[in-house]
Amino acid sequence: MQNNNLKFKIRKIFILFFLLTLLFFYTTKKILAQQISLSLSPPLIETVIKPGKSILIAYTIVNYADPVILSAKVLPFEPKNNLGQIKIKEEFDGPIRFSLDNSHLKLNQSFFLKTNEKEQLLLRLRVPEGAKEGDYYYTLIVESQPVTTQLEKSASFAKASIGANILITVTESGKIEIKPKIVLFEVLPRFRFSFFGKKINFFDSTDSIPLILTIENQGKNLIKPEGEIILKGNFGEKAKFNLIPQNILSQSQRLIQATPSAEIDCSNLSKFRACQSPVSLIISGFFFGFYRLSTSVIFGENSPQISASTSFFAFPIKIFTGLMVALTIGFFLIKRFYNKD
Amino acid sequence: MKKAIFLLIFSLSFLFFFLKSVFAINMESPLFKIQYGEIGIAGGNKSSANYSLSDTVGQTAAGQFNSTGYIVKAGFQYLHSIIPFRFSISNININFGILIPNSPQTATTTLTVSFGAAGQYQVTAIEEGRLRTLDEVNSIPDTQCDGGTNTCNESLARPWTSNTAYGFGYNMSGNDIPSDFIDSTYFRPFPNRQENESPAIVMSSANVGRNRQAVVTFKVNVSPIQPAGKYQTIINFVATPSF
Repeated sequence: MQNNNLKFKIRKIFILFFLLTLLFFYTTKKILAQQISLSLSPPLIETVIKPGKSILIAYTIVNYADPVILSAKVLPFEPKNNLGQIKIKEEFDGPIRFSLDNSHLKLNQSFFLKTNEKEQLLLRLRVPEGAKEGDYYYTLIVESQPVTTQLEKSASFAKASIGANILITVTESGKIEIKPKIVLFEVLPRFRFSFFGKKINFFDSTDSIPLILTIENQGKNLIKPEGEIILKGNFGEKAKFNLIPQNILSQSQRLIQATPSAEIDCSNLSKFRACQSPVSLIISGFFFGFYRLSTSVIFGENSPQISASTSFFAFPIKIFTGLMVALTIGFFLIKRFYNKD
Repeated sequence: MKKAIFLLIFSLSFLFFFLKSVFAINMESPLFKIQYGEIGIAGGNKSSANYSLSDTVGQTAAGQFNSTGYIVKAGFQYLHSIIPFRFSISNININFGILIPNSPQTATTTLTVSFGAAGQYQVTAIEEGRLRTLDEVNSIPDTQCDGGTNTCNESLARPWTSNTAYGFGYNMSGNDIPSDFIDSTYFRPFPNRQENESPAIVMSSANVGRNRQAVVTFKVNVSPIQPAGKYQTIINFVATPSF
């Protein structure tokens, strides 16, 4: 009798467990982390515009992830350093007026995008009459609205914002002020010596040659460098590297990059300056003797040309050291061998 | 004599150990892929069924400027980017669960930036305020890491391994991250917008990059006297291309 009761209890527990398992599988849903993925194009607009004129720019924002609530705004920015990074200001300033021409959308107004849906933002940019000539830099920012009330536990919520830069040159006549200056054009040598006040750069023949070119824009309008860097050796060898025409904003400096550039393996060279900060160009090869590097830069038609040069020596220091070590060992072994004889 | 020559050859052969492979000047650029010499305004789609953007092509031309009053160039002049600038966050709800004193909690999310050939970009991060209760009475301070010589700040990551060092901070690993995140024990506090701090750059690159990924590890550790409650904040990640 007791045995039957026990069997009945076990069966009851088993059935209950089975039903609860079924309930779990049918009533629970797979939960995935909420993602956000946005694209915005075009990433950069440059315009030269007269006071009193307006233009319309069509941006496309695409949502590739979960449905999201977005809003668009425009804020001014300034260059943060000479590496092309920016600092977006917290408050709007400047004379340029921005608005959206979309019938159903305004700046700072929320809109909804489903998965894989896109929206065209028609940004109207208007320069009022009497606006001061000069450059004005802005970023169109499209940002997500975080949903903060879903979790019942401690959490941080990520908000994603994506930007596109707008560079505006306001001018009545169409003339651009071009006032460039090369502030730095030098190699980052392995060894540097001073000889009668002159700095002499030394590399090992097998070293890669890192080079820095920084240009300052002292004018009130952005400029775009065009030019090349030329390497000439003492045996008549020559190599040319083209400057990449990156914008240099007014009253700022920029490290200008050149191409084609090599790469340095920094895994064992973390203290080497070229591994700690970006450089304009890295030249690889086998160098021997004296080399001169020169650059000449222009900034569009009829602009002044600026130039600079630097030089370095390269010798096979590693190979020479190895040869000396090998000869010393050889000499020692021969001497020992003859002493034995 | 033969033995001497043999020894000399043997010792000279040591030289080979000092030799490196030597290549001609590399003609490929890891920095930029030039697809178009100059695209002027022609880059990018600027028309729709109802709207079109009146553009001029090329460099500043005084005559054209005087007649229309403007010149526009879209995209980067030195390249044509087929892939638009795209920014993704793998998880926007970073759940710490129940916070237990002296028991650090971590959670991660992955940031991804795709930029075709356009290269230069940056991602910044800032917290909209400290981790705090909904009534804003209690808050968890931003971390100072282990303190002493290992005191971190918004622009310098330092080790945070002590269970008695309290606060909220983050670690970065992956592509294009600041070099001060040496390993997974190095943390920084987020800059705080309410304290007028500037956003910190958490990813940046001057090179060509498609699907550049970095993992943000959020860490919070509370003291035994931290009042109970649900602590929350918003971290704003802003991705922008260069100019």
